[in-house]
Amino acid sequence: MPDVTVRLEGISKRYRVQHGWYRSIRDASRDWFHRFWGPAGDSDVFWALRDITFDVERGDIVGLIGSNGAGKSTLLKILSRVTVPTRGTFFTRGRLGALIEIGAGFHPDLTGRENVYLNGALMGMGRREIDGKFDQIVAFAEVGRFIDTPVKHYSSGMQVRLGFSVAAHTDPDVLLIDEALAVGDAAFQARCLNRLAELKEQGRTIILVSHQMANVLHHSRKVLWLQGGQVRGYGDPESMVEQYLKSVREVHQQGSTSTAIGVERPVRIDHVTLVDRQGRSLPTFQHGGLVCIDIVFTILRPVIEPVFEVTFQDSHGYALGGLTSRLDKLKVDSRLERGTIRLTLDPILFLKGDYTINAHIRDRLIDRYYDVQKKAAILSVDGPSITSREVSGHVMYPHAWALVDCHERP
Amino acid sequence: MSATSLAISSGSRSAYLKELWTHRILILSFALRDIKARYKQTVFGIGWAILQPLALMLIFTLVFSRFAKVPSDGVPYPVFAYTGLIFWNFFAMTISQGTLAISANAPLVRKIYFPRETLLLSIVLSAALDLGVATLLLGFLLTYYKVGVGLAVLWVPVLLVLQTLFAFGIICITSSVHVNFRDVGHAIPLVLQLGLLATPVGYPLSVVPPALLPIFLLNPMAAIVAGYRSAILSGTTPDLSGLGIAAAGSALLVAVGYLIFKSAERTFADVI
Repeated sequence: MPDVTVRLEGISKRYRVQHGWYRSIRDASRDWFHRFWGPAGDSDVFWALRDITFDVERGDIVGLIGSNGAGKSTLLKILSRVTVPTRGTFFTRGRLGALIEIGAGFHPDLTGRENVYLNGALMGMGRREIDGKFDQIVAFAEVGRFIDTPVKHYSSGMQVRLGFSVAAHTDPDVLLIDEALAVGDAAFQARCLNRLAELKEQGRTIILVSHQMANVLHHSRKVLWLQGGQVRGYGDPESMVEQYLKSVREVHQQGSTSTAIGVERPVRIDHVTLVDRQGRSLPTFQHGGLVCIDIVFTILRPVIEPVFEVTFQDSHGYALGGLTSRLDKLKVDSRLERGTIRLTLDPILFLKGDYTINAHIRDRLIDRYYDVQKKAAILSVDGPSITSREVSGHVMYPHAWALVDCHERP
Repeated sequence: MSATSLAISSGSRSAYLKELWTHRILILSFALRDIKARYKQTVFGIGWAILQPLALMLIFTLVFSRFAKVPSDGVPYPVFAYTGLIFWNFFAMTISQGTLAISANAPLVRKIYFPRETLLLSIVLSAALDLGVATLLLGFLLTYYKVGVGLAVLWVPVLLVLQTLFAFGIICITSSVHVNFRDVGHAIPLVLQLGLLATPVGYPLSVVPPALLPIFLLNPMAAIVAGYRSAILSGTTPDLSGLGIAAAGSALLVAVGYLIFKSAERTFADVI
């Protein structure tokens, strides 16, 4: 029989949508009334989670994915016992650690040392245990000689490092992590990941919430996909992430309406199309292939050398850079009335995924915007995927790996 | 009850207490934090723990003793009033700060789980420190006015336990209610002001008309404050019948209050 360390059965969580800024006597008395006289018939409730059931075995690393509002944070809050479920039962076996709100327990007037003890105590550590780990915690956080300085004089980076360090040294049997890896500088992040790997090796059970699919793929042995407060899938990371990204893509495409802003624009973007060399519009483009981004525009008033700009975003809205027509010294004759400007990407470097294309027209100095169309088009790319773990990020550069200097063992 | 978690549904009283025990260092940590925050950037620092009851003692001496000629059971009035005031202050401080303790720590309560009563107990502890400091001046006053202290002083720890239980029982309830209804926070200072007058702090119980005495003793603090005076100033065993009622009332209040608190605790993070 598998060794279950976390079990949830039919966990649901209902929140009341508050109309005022306080809970009135009327609300409270109505609650009491419904408690004894049948269910509440009101509609101002919101189910953050519905009927969540799953098991986590000892040593499992479960990635929790889903779009904003899917219920990931509520689920962590229930597991960490900050809030109780409206329905359902759950248990976690052994000591629970949470890297959810790093440094939430810090008090600005206390010194680093005092805060380590306060936070350690909040995580359920005893004084002797904190004494034993104190040097390790301080060394990991790299706050050194500032340990006896009030935390209010720390930089935000130092506070976060100290908070993470305390939490990471609590030796939990079950560890909950919420995007906590995205703290500190690159070197500190690397050490956090190493600490995570250590905990992994020690057979700790970890539940990890992240929007970074690369992190999820890298660390998880299983992935739970939440959508609208319900479980959409629970299984191996590759297929879950693949399905999740696909659903994000679909939602993303449905929402691809162009919104134009700008009142006195002298020049206007009419529409943007993506076509191949022959001018055909395709549903997806191949990585390494070619795509032409055509911007059809109308000049309403004389304008001096407008600059066209295209920017890219991934499906979560992270900016992936942009290109302007001034880069290629392309000048647009302002006596035109209508025209099409084409940006050719050859080859397409993007990995498999959907990328939002935003089109802008700006003034000669790239100072002001004449017209802006967000989500003017969606570029769907097929090709190498991050789910294979062989590539990461958003682009694959033209490259070659080779072993160039070999020394044989004597 | 529809909402249960196996981790919590073992929430018998013994499980509550066991969890509280594993988090006991938290009480001290919170108390240290509160004390540091309370006296930071003050000139007198912890001296305020003496200055407050001292100032009240002076004004009480003027108004009650000089103007109103209130008797003080054969003890010099200043030491009589000061004794009452420091124990009343301990009570008032516990109540006023304990009531606000949960909502004052809203960011913590929203984000991290820990037994919430540690916040209340830390208030008791930090108020007790102030009492300890204020006692130093009491020692001086006793010597100055040549009031001899006898074996009856051994009743003081008993009275302290009784008072602490009573105050803890109250803040279990008021702090839970305050999370939902902030009106409580406004009402408490008023109630404490009335309490200071309804409790024999500035006058002895002997001036209370006998017909009203039973009503007076419904307030456990009346018997407790009178008890401190007997034990410290008169060197006599406190009135045990009055204390017995206070003890029974406090025990009941703590039991009921703690259960109310632990049940209200479940929704703190949602409504705070």
